[in-house]
Amino acid sequence: MNDSELIDSNPTEGGEVGLIEFQDFVSDAVFTFESGDTIPRMTIRYETYGHLNKAADNTILICHALSGDHHCAGVYRITDRKPGWWNHMVGPGKPIDTSRYFVICSNCLGGCQGSTGPGSINPETGKRYNLDFPELTVADMVNAQARLLDHLGVGRLHAIIGGSMGGMQALQWIISYPERVGRYLALATGARHTAQAIAFNDTGRQAIITDPEWKNGAYESGEGPAHGLAVARMMAHITYLSDKGMENKFGRSRRSRPLQEGGRFDVEFEVESYLRYQGQSFVNRFDPNTYLYFTKALDHFDLYGPDNRLDDAFSVVQAEGLVVGFTSDWLYPPQGNREIVEAMLRLGKRATYAELSMDFGHDSFLVHAPELYELITRFLDR
Amino acid sequence: MKQQSGMVGKRRQVDFQIIADWVAPGDRILDLGCGRGVLIEYLMQKKGAYGVGVDVDFDKILSCVKRSVPAYQGDAQKVLNCFDEGSFDRVIFSRTVEQLSHPDAIMSDALRVGKRVTVGFVNHGFWLNRLNFLKTGNRIHNEVYPNEWYESAPSNAFSVDEFEKWCARRSIQIHHRVYLGGDWRKRCRNLPNLFAGYAIYDLGRGVQGEGGVA
Repeated sequence: MNDSELIDSNPTEGGEVGLIEFQDFVSDAVFTFESGDTIPRMTIRYETYGHLNKAADNTILICHALSGDHHCAGVYRITDRKPGWWNHMVGPGKPIDTSRYFVICSNCLGGCQGSTGPGSINPETGKRYNLDFPELTVADMVNAQARLLDHLGVGRLHAIIGGSMGGMQALQWIISYPERVGRYLALATGARHTAQAIAFNDTGRQAIITDPEWKNGAYESGEGPAHGLAVARMMAHITYLSDKGMENKFGRSRRSRPLQEGGRFDVEFEVESYLRYQGQSFVNRFDPNTYLYFTKALDHFDLYGPDNRLDDAFSVVQAEGLVVGFTSDWLYPPQGNREIVEAMLRLGKRATYAELSMDFGHDSFLVHAPELYELITRFLDR
Repeated sequence: MKQQSGMVGKRRQVDFQIIADWVAPGDRILDLGCGRGVLIEYLMQKKGAYGVGVDVDFDKILSCVKRSVPAYQGDAQKVLNCFDEGSFDRVIFSRTVEQLSHPDAIMSDALRVGKRVTVGFVNHGFWLNRLNFLKTGNRIHNEVYPNEWYESAPSNAFSVDEFEKWCARRSIQIHHRVYLGGDWRKRCRNLPNLFAGYAIYDLGRGVQGEGGVA
């Protein structure tokens, strides 16, 4: 996710948010996790685009996916090679129209791109939290975001939007803060992980924790299980694509340069080269412990009740929703998306389910597709 | 289902009004084969209904989103499976039944999920259809049947008589029936299987002791 290389970054209609800066919200109040554990202080890194109106009712909160971050639109410097991860969707005149809406995107609690997480310094010890960081849940991520909104003077959201892990946060928002959300848009998500999704996550976790450099999570800044994380990322990345998408993009193409230091097991096919590059570049920007915490939070997330239905969890929901599934998504298959709306409709709530046929697998929600563009525009616009 | 425009659009206003007459304010409505959501939008505006449309086509769902009509992209039978008995006050099939793969099973399930079921359909027994076939031996080709056979989706045309026989066989209670003439506007009072161009039925579950819904 957040891999703009796969993504058609065609310039779109509408303007750009242009140069932006991230900001840090530092909360000095104790933050209590769902587990009951606390941290004395919390930093949430975020970006905003557009302006809060006088009525303070035009805010859209965008929730990022597992490996995403708060930088969803614009560039930091004119020379930046890539804009934010959802730049085609966020900007003046775009579906998430920054000339109308005040758009916020924050780095998740537990993250590693500016918000407090396992890699942050514990003010009580002066050392990195590492595995002393409390157990994290999707509800914790959402509670931290709510505290950010309080700080920004935003009471009620016009909309909450997210794909994948971001979609789970959107679902948690409408349950945890039903009176604070006008509408939700959840893409390529589910109200719990399938066995297959848990299996993939654990394989990734095993790659990390069996790397000797993991050191039971107690590695120092700049060190750590780089190989394990890269392998976890390579494997996970496969689950974000589809067989057809990979076939179209790579087929059996081979690299032209001869085999190098790795001998006969060096990079040979283009798809290998692509995945290894994804693994390496991920190591440069992501903390292995955050990866463990996030994937566990997702595996634990489960809104289904004892009767295997979502109805109890969603009974408090006030917001109107749109859930979008993608036919080629085998990580968060359409069925899991559909069941969210089926429960809402059983409860007599206003919800829509739409399904798009796209070949990009789970990452379809990040791809610039005219149908998705139109759908999101219409949903937010009305 | 064809996009409603021109003459067909005007025709549809009459059946929309009839369908709306059977809807109580605030009713929960499920429209199977909702197309672009025009009927649900009408019922939401006229009756303050809570409506949900179902259609298989993404473009139709997109149109529903434009209209602020809640909609579900999927298969009619599968969506019925996920609702409990009596979840909706009314399930509507408006020019949809002809295209169902298993009309008996799906309409029977609709009678479980909905307390009432509305079925609107083109009467294939209409005299012009009969005359046309007698004269030419070909399918009729007009505004109601606009496409040639080779460019149409499979359609299971049936007549008022045949529909009544199904209701009797399944002991389905017919609360109301309205027939429209060939113009789909004026009421048709006599020999509906011959003279009705369009029929609209208000159905309820079979009465206990009469055999129930088989």
